[in-house]
Amino acid sequence: MSESAGIREDRARRRIEIRAPQDFAAGIALVVLALIAFWASAELGEGRFFTVGPALLPRMVATLIGIIGAGLVVSGLIKDGDAMGRWTLRGPLFIFISVAAFALSIRTIGLALAGPLVAVISGAASPETRPRELVLFALVVTALSIALFRYLLHLPIPILIIPRVLVL
Amino acid sequence: MSDLLSNLALGFATALSLQNLGLAFIGCMVGTLIGVLPGIGPIATITMLLPITFNFEPVGALIMLAGIYYGAQYGGSTTAILVNIPGEVTAIVTTLDGHPMAKQGRAGVALGIAAIGSFFAGCVATLVIAALARPLVKLALLFGPAEYFALMVMGLAFAVVLASGSVPKAMAMILFGLLLSTVGTDLETGVERLTFGIPALTSGIDFAVLAMGVIGFAEVLKNLEVPEKRDLAKQPIGRLLPGREDLKASVWPIVRGTLVGTILGILPGNGAVLGPYASYTIEKKVAKDPRRFGRGAIEGVAGPESANNAGAQSSFIPLLTLGIPPNAVMALMVGAMTIHGIVPGPLVMSKNATLFWGMIASMWIGNLMLLVINLPLVGIWVKLLDVPYRLMYPAILVFSCIGIYSVNNSPSDVLLTGIFALIGYALLKLGFETAPLLLGFVLGRLM
Repeated sequence: MSESAGIREDRARRRIEIRAPQDFAAGIALVVLALIAFWASAELGEGRFFTVGPALLPRMVATLIGIIGAGLVVSGLIKDGDAMGRWTLRGPLFIFISVAAFALSIRTIGLALAGPLVAVISGAASPETRPRELVLFALVVTALSIALFRYLLHLPIPILIIPRVLVL
Repeated sequence: MSDLLSNLALGFATALSLQNLGLAFIGCMVGTLIGVLPGIGPIATITMLLPITFNFEPVGALIMLAGIYYGAQYGGSTTAILVNIPGEVTAIVTTLDGHPMAKQGRAGVALGIAAIGSFFAGCVATLVIAALARPLVKLALLFGPAEYFALMVMGLAFAVVLASGSVPKAMAMILFGLLLSTVGTDLETGVERLTFGIPALTSGIDFAVLAMGVIGFAEVLKNLEVPEKRDLAKQPIGRLLPGREDLKASVWPIVRGTLVGTILGILPGNGAVLGPYASYTIEKKVAKDPRRFGRGAIEGVAGPESANNAGAQSSFIPLLTLGIPPNAVMALMVGAMTIHGIVPGPLVMSKNATLFWGMIASMWIGNLMLLVINLPLVGIWVKLLDVPYRLMYPAILVFSCIGIYSVNNSPSDVLLTGIFALIGYALLKLGFETAPLLLGFVLGRLM
């Protein structure tokens, strides 16, 4: 794995300056993280010499993160390293949507809908999914989890809420 | 000595209660299950089950979580031997000689010796924990806040040095974890810190939310990128009990493996992972004919299997006595303890004696259970490999979402977990390890 990356890097060196794209990007991400932390703690007091303010620790940590980030950016320019690797959008996108769908529906409608929603939407994240099998499986898993969490573990999870008609 | 015995008696009395026995059993079953299934590790599983344990007594919760961890070491070897897929990282070495043994029709013997070795290692490690606990705790009680802080920094330093990837990246992750631990209302001044005005963040980030997102869900995302292929050529398992020859050949490897595994397990970092490698190397060195290794040498199964189980258990020592998590799983245990209102550290032994000794006793009981769960039921476990990941991960997500929601009955926690999943995925893609992040977060909370 690292060998093939090395060969790829050799080729990249002749064209572009960035020799370790992954480290370079990681460094930039850290610098951005540090900047966000500074921005978010901008209004907090840092404290004086004898009193520690609420912003002291986050800013100290953010400074260190920024320094490491800058270091990675520099070393990404001079030292050979791993390539970026393949980023996929499909997985993260559908998984996030499915989790968000659960968050939105669990309190308003209940687990009877939220459960199948997570399973079916997240199923779209994998190219190997077979739709009909998944829908059936989603219903079984939901039924099982209703039995387990609500009736066995007695967690206060709403199962089905139809406004003014039914609350389970 | 009599002190030790009375403590162990207290422990067994706690661990043998019906509820705790049941929870230990569930933990061992779940551990074996995820150990068998590649793609789901103990870290992800413990994070996913963490929310559910909030409803249990603290002792029972920790007994179950511990069972998952060392149960996974047993289960991981089963698939390593039978289908050449290491269920866990610690079982990679087992494939080297375990699978060749299976090809020769000696799968049963390999499984048998792995289980016997693991059981022996588990017993010894339990005794070592019990024996080392008191002196270590006495030492730790002499520590003031300054020494404590120094010890934590040392733990962090070790974790960085032993991290498998790049050192600056691991350091950055620990710092990121520290930064995340400062989110929320500042304890000294009551000011909101780094909350971006989001009300869900005012009370800080929940440990379960962070762990589930950055580790649990991110692992699902990582697995989705690898197309699934499983080579399920099945050989007959053969008889399970090793013969006299095999036992004779395995006695010393098991003893040596246990010793190496126990010592490496105590070290911070990835001790339990190093153990099997070290043991395999030693066995190869001392063998009369090293060429047999890789072609089904029983020593190559007995030693590493003992080492990984010993290491899994002895890594509880720094946690239980000093309150310092040596690896990511132990960081999760710290999280579980604090959620149950127990401050990890030397005081646990005196303040929560039943918890402390109950956990230790449960490890021995758990090992016994694992012996029973694993050997006769081996066929069932292997059948589980037929469940494809395309069905496994939606089920994981459903259970995890319910688990996270039930922590605070808060939908925004679920949403936050989703966001952390994206962050975790990006971090993995940028070559960061997320375990140090969790360590940093936990230690930041303890400081």
